[in-house]
Parts: sequence; C-alpha cells; structure tokens
Amino acid sequence: MRSHFGRRSFLCLGAGAATAAVLPGLLAACSGSRDDQLSISNWPLYIDPSRPGHPGTVERFERASGIRVTYSEDQNDSATFFAKIRPELAAGRAIPQDIFITPYWLASRLIGLGWLEELPVSQIPNAARLVPQLQRPSWDPSGRFSLPWQSGIAGIAYNREVTGRDLTGIEDLYAPDLRGRVGFLTEMRDTMGLLMLAQGEDPGNPTMARAESAFRRLEKAKAAGQIRAFTGNNYQSDLLAGNFAACMAWSGDVAQLAQDNPKLQFIVPSSGGILWADVMVVPKRSPHLREATAWMNFVYDPSEAARITEEVQYISPVQGVQAILSAHQDTAALARNPLVFPDASMRNKLHTFGPMSESEEIAFEERFAAVSQA
Amino acid sequence: MREVTGRWTLRQAVAVTPGLLTLLVLFVLPLLELLRQSWSQPISRFGLETTLHADAIHYREALALAGPVLGRSVVMAALATGLCLLIGFPLAWWIVRYGGMWRPLLTGLVVTPLFLNALVRAIAWSSLLADRGPLLQLLQRSGLVPMLEVIGLLQDGRLLNTSAALLAGLTYCGLPFLVLPLVASLSTIPLELLEAAADLQAGPMRSFRLVILPLALPGLISGCLLTFIPALGDVVNAQVLGGPSDRMVGNLLQNLVLVQQRFNTGAALAMVLLLIALAALLLEGRAPRNGQL
Repeated sequence: MRSHFGRRSFLCLGAGAATAAVLPGLLAACSGSRDDQLSISNWPLYIDPSRPGHPGTVERFERASGIRVTYSEDQNDSATFFAKIRPELAAGRAIPQDIFITPYWLASRLIGLGWLEELPVSQIPNAARLVPQLQRPSWDPSGRFSLPWQSGIAGIAYNREVTGRDLTGIEDLYAPDLRGRVGFLTEMRDTMGLLMLAQGEDPGNPTMARAESAFRRLEKAKAAGQIRAFTGNNYQSDLLAGNFAACMAWSGDVAQLAQDNPKLQFIVPSSGGILWADVMVVPKRSPHLREATAWMNFVYDPSEAARITEEVQYISPVQGVQAILSAHQDTAALARNPLVFPDASMRNKLHTFGPMSESEEIAFEERFAAVSQA
Repeated sequence: MREVTGRWTLRQAVAVTPGLLTLLVLFVLPLLELLRQSWSQPISRFGLETTLHADAIHYREALALAGPVLGRSVVMAALATGLCLLIGFPLAWWIVRYGGMWRPLLTGLVVTPLFLNALVRAIAWSSLLADRGPLLQLLQRSGLVPMLEVIGLLQDGRLLNTSAALLAGLTYCGLPFLVLPLVASLSTIPLELLEAAADLQAGPMRSFRLVILPLALPGLISGCLLTFIPALGDVVNAQVLGGPSDRMVGNLLQNLVLVQQRFNTGAALAMVLLLIALAALLLEGRAPRNGQL
C-alpha cells in the first residue's frame, strides 16, 4: 500500500518539521505576528505525499517559500464540513483553515453567502496556465473567489471477478444478477446526475420535473432490494471486499485502487458521466491570504501539477501537465488515459450537474434523503 | 448524606459544584438551546438569526419525516434489548453463581468490547459478515443458507447490510450495559434464599419467578434502559451493518442537521427522541421496586 506508507512517512516528517519550527513559532507568537504560516485542509490521498527520499508537494512548497504549512487530510464529507464552519463564518469569525478544498457547488454557496476572501488573481501568475473552461467557471463567474484543485468523473466501478461480465451503463446497476450487490453514492449530485443522464434528462439544468423519472427509478430499485448501500468515500472498502459487485464511484479513486487490484474497472456509463470539480477557497478573515496566494501559484506550476496528477490520477486543471507526463516513460501511459486527460470524445460524454435555485436544492435534497436515509 | 448531618456543609457544596456546573453547561444549556431552535424560524437559510415561532411546524415536519423510521428504531431497539436479555440474564447468573474467584475477570471480559470505539466495532463486524467473510463461507458450506434466508437472517444470500446484521450489532453493543447491572443485582441475592425456596418445595422455575426475578428487578430494569436508550439513538450500526432500508432515527437526524442543514427540524426531532427516552425512564420509575412483583 504505497499511499499508506506515504502518509505515515509524511506524518513523521511533519513532526520533525514541527519540532524544528517551535522556536521561530514562539518568537512569532510573542511579536503578535503569525506570518509565514498556512493551514490547508484537503481530502485524503489527494496530493503528492512525502516519502523517504521524496519530498512531497507540501514539503517542496515549504522549502521553496519558507512558509510553514499545517496540512490536514480532514475533509471527509463536504456537507458536514459546511455544518461545522457555518456558525463561525455566519458570526463573522475566522476559522482555523486558511485554504480548504471543497466541491464546486459548495464554493458557489459560500460565494453567495459572502463567506470567502477575494483572491488576488493578479498575484498568481501561474493561474494563467489554467485550462480556459476553469478560469471563469459557472459556479464562480468572476473567477475571483475560487481556484480549481482537481476535477474528476463520477461513473461506475465494478469488480470483474464478482460481476463475471463487463458493464457498460447505468442499466447494469439495475440488472437482476447484481441484485443486492450494487452501491450508490450519498453525494446527491453525482447519483442523481448519473441517473438523470440514464433517463435521457440533462443534469446541467436540474429541476424536480426533469428528475422525476430518475427519482422514481431510484425509489423502485431501493424498494426492490437492488441497492445494497448508499455510501460516501467508503465504497472503496466494499468494492475491495467484494461486497459491491458494482457501484457508482469516482475516477481517480478507482485508478489508485486498481494498482493493487487489477480486476477493478472504471467506466463512464454509455449515457454519460458526471464531471465535477473541487476548488481551493480562502474563508473570510483568514490572516494568511498572502501565503495562500503563494501556495496557489506554486501548485499551478506545471511540473508541480504533474506530480500531483501522477499520484492522484484525477483531471488536472493546469495546461501542460499531459506533455510533461508523456515525456517520461513510466508516466506515458497515464498521459494517454482519457479518464485523466479527457479527449474530445470523452468530453462529449461528460456533463456537469448544474446550479439550482435554493428551493430546487431543498426539494432535491429532501427527496434524495427520503430514499437514501429512510 | 442528609440523614447524617441534617443540612449541607460547605464541604459538600464544594464537592457537588463541579458536577452541577458540568451538567448545567454541557447538558441543560444545550438542551434549552435545542428547545429554542425547535420553536424558531431562521431568517435566512444559513444565517444564525432566528425568530421564535409559537407554531409547532418543525415538530410536524420531524414527525412526518421520521414516522416510519422512528417506529422502526423503537422496534429495533426493543428487539435488541430483548435479545440482550435472553443472552445476558443466563450469562450474568452464571457469572454470579459459578464465577467464584473468576467473577471480576469474567465481568471484565463482558466489558472488554467497550474499550473499542463503536465505529471500530461495527467495522470489525462488517468484515466478519462480509460476502467473502468467514461466517458466510461457513454457512454456505453447511447448507443452511436456504433456511436462514427463510427466517430472514440472510437477505439475497448476504449477511452484511441486512436488518439481522443491524440487530446483531445493536445487541452486541448493548450486552455489557445489561450484564453489568444484572451482575450487581444478582450478586446481592443470598444463596440461603434459594436454599430456603428449595426446602419449601419450590422447583427451579418457581424459585426463579418468585425469588430471583423480583430481587434482580432493579438491575434488570436499569440494564434494559441502558441497552434500549443508546440503541434507539444508534447511528453507526445502521450505517455500517444495516441495509438501505434499515436506517435508524439517528441517521435521519444526522442527515437533517449535517447534510440538509435543517437545524430546526433536526432540533425538533431530537426533542421527540428525548421525550421517548424520558417516557422509558418514567416507566422505570413506576416499575415495582426490589422484591415487589
């Protein structure tokens, strides 16, 4: 388990770094300044980690900038995280995180609430390297409050050994031979987006009327015992244990899992996959906007971005990563993978779950909860 | 204490203050806030300001949403308590009667599962019950699968993510809470009483009904409550071991507050849950005391 090893060694390095930094930290605390520090909150296994003899993204940034980073992999469920930070931000107080990585739809909500700092994009020269579609995205039309971290695809993962056949689309998840061994995601936009596509509806413009047939299908499948569980990130263990023959899943995860278990496959359903984006945001009143800016510029350096892509196998927002990876023999195959670098035909199969009015969002979440939580 | 001194001393007041303060700050105040939230309407969806409302709208919403889930939770918690009783009473009796010098060790063993975090316990169960796990493989080889399917222990050929798995998890979590007070209660019964019952021609059933059960009743009732109330509020077992149709009211509560961000409805549901637990406590208060059955 490469990733576990990496995380543990990173913790050791972190502890060492913390000890080395105690004295300057104390001095800084005495002078009342907390400069040159940055607290980043990210999802697990979503960066190039430090390993023995290999400094990871965070360590390279610390060396290059002199900024001390507290990096936590404590993002697990974006809705829960929002519930945690809401009282602080609503009361106009700062939260401990200077940067957190969050789904585009939550960024859009936070922008609407005015709870994010405006990013000095002019001081992030590498932001010019972002792919054009992500410079002024629909969830942040001004492009001034969020910057993309990685994108990915919600599709179907299956264990060829358990299914005994190849799967092609959402219909397979409803197939009688997989009854009781199918997993759906608790992430409403991914599950409903995939199901709407399968019903021939456009998730780019989600309304309850358009989602009606998808909801009915989902409710019927649950009542019939087709669905084994609704899961978050933990679908991975069910897939590995063989409890799920097939499930909705996220592209990069499955690519990482498949390194240890080649029987695992990820497909974009024939009716289409859901393209999502996670973005970096700085919460209002963070005292470290300058440091956050330096970090963002650093990770958009194409060679840095390429190292992250090599590790996480999600879609990089930075142009030039594909060229860097194809130049090296051991990463050339990755550079040709359409799930990591979607070509035109892949792009045509990908759709984004569109923005919703507040009342639509409430109605969607309520009906989805009635299926997944009751 | 009162019988001894007649009134409070300063020392007693000092001793009791931290406990009372803890209760006030960590229990009474949050409870009052929960009560206020359940009767308030937020001014904006994610804002903090709310206005008080003399309308029970959140309670109506909570009951409409939770109706079937609430019923299922009460039934599941009651079933788990019943199973704990079936397993726990003989176990406690055996420990008290025949444990001898090993009694502390045996009681300790019963409590051992509590050293593990509830989530870790549920995950351990899930690998035990997994489709390729040891238990299912054993059952498959034994040829018992069709029969177990009929009685509902297996569902579509699986043990994990079924009502039976949820029930097993709840029972496992509740067992120590039932056995501990029972052991305490049973160990106060003098053996001479049983000898006397036998001398007076009472058979084992009769002496159990007329001697052991009445004397064990206080421990039995508190054990049942300690099993029932946490099972009612279960989140983890339903999530890890249950199927998609086995969600408990705790899961719904978590979803309301953390996912749907409907804090006021969640607060109302929490109050309803609290009332059910209170009702169970009141029933205990009215139950016959030591020796009266």
